Amino acid sequence: MPRLRRDPILSRRNFLRGAAGSAIALPLMASLRASAAVDTAPKRLLLMYTPNGVIPDAWWPKNVDGEAYDLNVIHQYLAPFKDRVTFLGGVDLTVTNSGPGGLHQRGIGGLFTGQQLQSGDLFVDGCGQTAGWANGISVDQELAKTLAVGTPITSLELGVRATENDVQGRIAYAGAGAPLPPMNDPKDVFHRLFSGFGQTTDALNQLHAERKSVLDTVQSQFKSLSARVSAEDRSKLEAHLSLVRDLENRMSVSGNGSPACVAPNAPATLDPTSEDDMPAIAALHLDMLATAFACDLTRVASYQISTSLNHIRYPWLNSLGEGHALSHEGPSDADAHTELVARQTWHSQLLANFLTRLGQIPEGSGTVLDNTLVLWGNEVSEGNTHSHQNMPFVMVGGGWYFRTGRYIHYQDASHNDLLVSVLNAFGVEATTFGQADLCHGPLANLV
Amino acid sequence: MMRAVSRCVVGAWLALLAVGCYPTTEPDHTKPRAADTAQDLVCHPEEEPTSPLALLTRAQYDATIADLLGDDSHPSHSFPPENQVEGFNNNTEVHIANPLLVEQLMDAAEGIASRAVASSMNQLAPCAGTGAAAQDQCGADFVSSFGKRAFRRPLTDDEASAFDGLFSSTNAARGYASAVTLTLQAMLQSPQFLYRVDAARTATEETGAVPLDPYQLASRLSYFLTGSMPDDELFAAADSGALIGPDEIEAQARRLLATPHARDMVRDFNHQWLQLDGLAGLARNPPENGADVKSIGDDYLESLQQFLDHVYWDEGTLASLFSSPVIYLNARLGAVLGAGAPDADFAAISEQAGRGGLLAQPALMAMLAHSDQSGPVQRGVFVRERILCIDVPPPPPSFNPIPPDPDPSLTTRERFKVHTESPACSGCHALIDGTGFGFENYDQLGRYRTEENGLPVDASGNMLETGEAALDGPFEGALELSQKLAQSPRVQKCLSTNWYRYALGRVETEADNCSLLQVQQKFADSGGDFRELLVALTLTDAFRYRPATPEDM
Repeated sequence: MPRLRRDPILSRRNFLRGAAGSAIALPLMASLRASAAVDTAPKRLLLMYTPNGVIPDAWWPKNVDGEAYDLNVIHQYLAPFKDRVTFLGGVDLTVTNSGPGGLHQRGIGGLFTGQQLQSGDLFVDGCGQTAGWANGISVDQELAKTLAVGTPITSLELGVRATENDVQGRIAYAGAGAPLPPMNDPKDVFHRLFSGFGQTTDALNQLHAERKSVLDTVQSQFKSLSARVSAEDRSKLEAHLSLVRDLENRMSVSGNGSPACVAPNAPATLDPTSEDDMPAIAALHLDMLATAFACDLTRVASYQISTSLNHIRYPWLNSLGEGHALSHEGPSDADAHTELVARQTWHSQLLANFLTRLGQIPEGSGTVLDNTLVLWGNEVSEGNTHSHQNMPFVMVGGGWYFRTGRYIHYQDASHNDLLVSVLNAFGVEATTFGQADLCHGPLANLV
Repeated sequence: MMRAVSRCVVGAWLALLAVGCYPTTEPDHTKPRAADTAQDLVCHPEEEPTSPLALLTRAQYDATIADLLGDDSHPSHSFPPENQVEGFNNNTEVHIANPLLVEQLMDAAEGIASRAVASSMNQLAPCAGTGAAAQDQCGADFVSSFGKRAFRRPLTDDEASAFDGLFSSTNAARGYASAVTLTLQAMLQSPQFLYRVDAARTATEETGAVPLDPYQLASRLSYFLTGSMPDDELFAAADSGALIGPDEIEAQARRLLATPHARDMVRDFNHQWLQLDGLAGLARNPPENGADVKSIGDDYLESLQQFLDHVYWDEGTLASLFSSPVIYLNARLGAVLGAGAPDADFAAISEQAGRGGLLAQPALMAMLAHSDQSGPVQRGVFVRERILCIDVPPPPPSFNPIPPDPDPSLTTRERFKVHTESPACSGCHALIDGTGFGFENYDQLGRYRTEENGLPVDASGNMLETGEAALDGPFEGALELSQKLAQSPRVQKCLSTNWYRYALGRVETEADNCSLLQVQQKFADSGGDFRELLVALTLTDAFRYRPATPEDM
């Protein structure tokens, strides 16, 4: 059972919110933050997911000498951040060795939960394998229990054409069988994050008070109805009620007064189902996430670029093969290989641009980048083999806890241990996460 | 203690069904999953699972808000999409609340309420009085009248007093318009609005299965057949207490099927059954004739939906679904297909070479394809799973397929042959590709072709292991296959089963045997008439009963 080790942030935030509701006049808040930020800057986690494996020859480090290495072509844009980048070789998705579901399904379900899929026949993959949802909470949501207390948004799930609405399209889970859908439209993300910006404190206070009276009435309706329905239905209503309660406690989203906390311009209308709009959406999502971190609107996020069985072309890279089919091409198809390397390089470049943004946001004596950990994973290691061994895991940041800038070689390590290490990095004293019999404590040699 | 039991006897025809039944152990969704033995079947509603709380889908939410308040702004556009099972997004097991949805429901309710108050507060909550007491009375009238329409039944006293309390305290603090606004917001976020609730409203003494009360039946009928809240006539029938027996249900069902909303509902079903989300954002490489194919998925979707409108509402039978020769084209699609350039609006065109029925529709063939070539695998999977309800049999649990390294210099059909020749793939693909190769007359834009790269197209296919002798075996092209499918009992049962899932918001179980078999039989007896199928669904025990709840006992 994970436990909170320490959270100096909590008490400070509670003080702020307790003193004057969630919308304190900004100059006072800004000065409080500036003085307090050195030791108490919040830590953030971003989980990143890209599908269908990687081209190992171009993805993994080259010129390796012990833990030293050179970045390979796919990760060339990470060069400015190389001392923060940690490649984790030899980590397997051991949890997917058995259990229900096809290999893409098991992989994406287990990636951040460390759990098998539930048995059941909710979902059938292309080859007739059946499965349910993942059987447990994902690591970001486990962390949100402590990390997100007091922030307006518990966690932000963002997707770029992540439009498969079943087990193959979900990476984040609030609990067993409870997947969290990503937002695919930047306009919706903008509205959710920034629509409260620019309002006066009085207006926000009034909004808060009105919402409270409305949601109090709504909660009373859930409670009285729950008593009158079957047990199965009652659990549904109670789950919904707890989300309403959580909403009431978090409501007003506004800035925190930090100079970097400035709402961006509203995005243009883009089509989340169009591949042509993918580059703009991919970049907008990460830009808004950087601002959300700067404003401390949220500290936990996930970001996924499409899903495993996609047919997506990347025309802006002159890559006209279709995602999943392309990934099945073997090494002899040089054109496919070139296209896949270009796509994966683009993914890594998106991450690099995001890191650049974070590095420009001052926080305490450093930047937001110093207080962020990104864990990037994939549901298979290679599209052509569907292997779950030597998974392409890379971390960026987390330097407050990990010794970074290394290529660490493990031998058949269980990725559950990696998830435990992530929890530990945020002060959660876990020794297991996900399926307990696959856990051996945190990964060795990381801290 | 009253025991609610109605009996239906489904007799000898079951034995006939068994003759044509699927002989293997793989899942067969054309009949209930665990097959009963062929003996006389007596329906016991108390043994049938009844549908649990159903959360409105985005489409239902938008339609309901439009009917309730005249607000057709599609406020659910920012809601997360529903999770899907077997293609359907109204499955009550997986379409459940999540944090993002609850937040967006609040956001939507705030927008809807402020628009309603700005545009029509005097119609919604008229008030001539000025003092607090008079205004609170107006508020109570509003809670009672609007609340009944929002919750689809009269409010209980407790419910009314909760909303009256919110109204009067808000009225005192912020005035009348704010009171109406916040009361609207609260109602639109309450479970009685967001869910279809089949709980007892007053104490009964029933156990097991309980007949739905008139208001619950009205909601079931309206959400199934119109995708929205009950209309005035349904409310009136429920108010009078008349809406209770099969005759009244059937009369209302037939009436509702003649309303415009029924067309929306059939489109929603077909969109999900045929998984037409695949047309959104359709990306195809530009064709050699220079036609513009950018963002053309919406045109294909409308073309296919107009064909399906025609099949359901003009022709009306399963046979026409697989044989109607008409296609619907606008100028853009006309240019793509080289079929002349009709007006900007869609128009029906028939007697085009290679057309006839759903499976030869340009939109469907374009959807089931790759950006630069046809998609035999997608087409084969589609026919087997969506049309025939056959899950492709899974490989053994320990099997870890490592596909061969395909040679990029091979032709398309030769490349796909790797599937059927490699031991790693043939388990699935002998069944899939044998079906899918029959559609080679249609390219990735759904254009009919008899030649590809100067070579004659080979559109011979081979259906395997369908469990129906008349379907199995070689066929030549999509039109011959469609003729076979139009006559197939298996297809008839598969479509009935899909409608059953859509109507009840869940996948059938063993306990649904009786209701499902009744529906399949009535559909067959009617000669495959869609209207009769939909009416039959409303008359099943599964549709008409609910489980007993604490209030009942």
